[in-house]
Amino acid sequence: MISQPLDKQLPHGVADLFFNDAARKRAVERALAETFARWGYSEIIPPMFEYYESLAAEAGAQLREEMYRFFDRDGRTLALRADFTIPTARVVGTKLFDRAMPLRFFYIGSVFRYEEAQAGVRREFTQAGVELIGADTPDADAEAVALAMTALRALGLNDFRFTLSNAAYLQATLRDLALTAADDAALREAVRRKNAPALAQLLATLPLDAPHQAALAQLPSLWGDPAVLARAVCVNDDARAAIGRLGDVVARLAQFGLADCVTLDLAENRGMAYYTGVLFEGFVQGLGFAVASGGRYDNLIAHFGHDIPAVGFAIGVERVMMLQRARASVAPAVIAQMYDGRVEEARARGLVVEVDVLNRDEAALREYARVRGAQAIWWREGGIENA
Amino acid sequence: MPNLTIALAKGRLLGPSLAIFESLGHNLNEARGSRKLVIAARDARFVLAKPMDVPIYVEYGAADVGIVGQDALRESGANVYEPLALGFGACRLVVAGKAEYKNAEWKMLAGLRVATKYPRVTKQYFSARGLSAEVIEVYGSVELTPMVGLADLIVDVVETGRTLRENGLVELDEIFRSQAAFIVNRAAHTLRANEIREVMEKIQNSKFVIQNSPVGKV
Repeated sequence: MISQPLDKQLPHGVADLFFNDAARKRAVERALAETFARWGYSEIIPPMFEYYESLAAEAGAQLREEMYRFFDRDGRTLALRADFTIPTARVVGTKLFDRAMPLRFFYIGSVFRYEEAQAGVRREFTQAGVELIGADTPDADAEAVALAMTALRALGLNDFRFTLSNAAYLQATLRDLALTAADDAALREAVRRKNAPALAQLLATLPLDAPHQAALAQLPSLWGDPAVLARAVCVNDDARAAIGRLGDVVARLAQFGLADCVTLDLAENRGMAYYTGVLFEGFVQGLGFAVASGGRYDNLIAHFGHDIPAVGFAIGVERVMMLQRARASVAPAVIAQMYDGRVEEARARGLVVEVDVLNRDEAALREYARVRGAQAIWWREGGIENA
Repeated sequence: MPNLTIALAKGRLLGPSLAIFESLGHNLNEARGSRKLVIAARDARFVLAKPMDVPIYVEYGAADVGIVGQDALRESGANVYEPLALGFGACRLVVAGKAEYKNAEWKMLAGLRVATKYPRVTKQYFSARGLSAEVIEVYGSVELTPMVGLADLIVDVVETGRTLRENGLVELDEIFRSQAAFIVNRAAHTLRANEIREVMEKIQNSKFVIQNSPVGKV
């Protein structure tokens, strides 16, 4: 293959947005910002890049690996932000730790991850989300889940379901086992993939007592309505507390009228390495991967000097746009042949009106209106035509 | 909600996969022998795809669930659930080479060339052992490559070992054991939890599923 000059190309994983896509993206961002603001969240705008050491805090090996890193002129390593939670934790841990709690922040912007091609993944993508800081209560967990659901509704995505799990349950179950790193990783992987046969085979090779065997072996099947919580085997008080916490969160969600939108899934343990408690992911009919994900991270802010619990989530704005495109909800537009009083009046009413500035003839203007997906053409002299 | 979409791997797993769903009451005559790739059956839609593509269909949600070999699943690296192993389609992914490697310290050799249809698994296998191998991806007749000097070793699936023997190759190491697996898209698992649980229970109880057969290591 002859290598092409790069000046007209784009690197893998980024995109140009214009016309309907750009407008739709801004509309999604506006709707989310308004929803978050109504729940008492104010915006935080962290820098696009900062010291790698800050961003690498509790990030986990995978996220660290995926960060775009570069050097400043003094040779210090910088990185582009790979999420908003870690920068927000830095701001709170270094500057806002003595404020009245809780703090409620929302953010909207690009994050950058050097990821291999996989389902629904880009290297620059837009996250819109919130952090609820300074409250370790089921009410705070439930507020995060309920706000994520409300945000999807504000975007017209009503047919969602959320999975709800608790990272603390598996953590507590594995805590006293002193497994080798390889066994621990294989076990978590089998649980994460609900690979019951591989899990059973692995457990047969490990010297575990009966309660641990029972707790782990049934994990891949512990999903469904809140009744699964009663079936969880708890090997210690922390495991019991983790299950109890999920029950409390479901009860709070019932008060929001949202408990029916939740599937419990105790085997889920993916997501960010800094998650310590309740985890959730939101799915919408029509997209094969999560559109929202979040969880509790009680140890992250401590890394920046002050031990403050927090919970948050992010919505993938591009994923929302994929769903909206699949649902073909394109905003209507009018193409006007010339600027006149009608145009001014319609724009004042909020209608999107485009005026032809190329003096097209009738046929060309009809073709342009068709391509733009306009609903109507307004001819000079007052004629109206449905496009 | 649209009908459940089920992706099935064409090739040697297709017959037993169809038998399972036929035993659940679906009429899948169209899938046998015809070239049709999408078959609408009673309250489900079946998509017939190349084995390597089935995990991708399911990961992206183009299919809600699927049946595919664990070999293709590992190779794809797809982020899906794999709750059931179905017992049929047993094979092994092995490292093989000319007989002269059998007693030689082939792991000591530098610059080995390895031909395979499984480049991802092959790279993982060699790099996990600190071996430098040049992985050559070929699309068919892997067992031919040592004979013509294209590769020193191959990584490929074997069922009976006959193809290896006929081409003068011997097995040097087993990478993993594979069998057919039932896989589920993560979104569908949540959005269509009841339907998927029902299908899983029916499949588990199907007489075409071989219970408790050994599972390949992850």
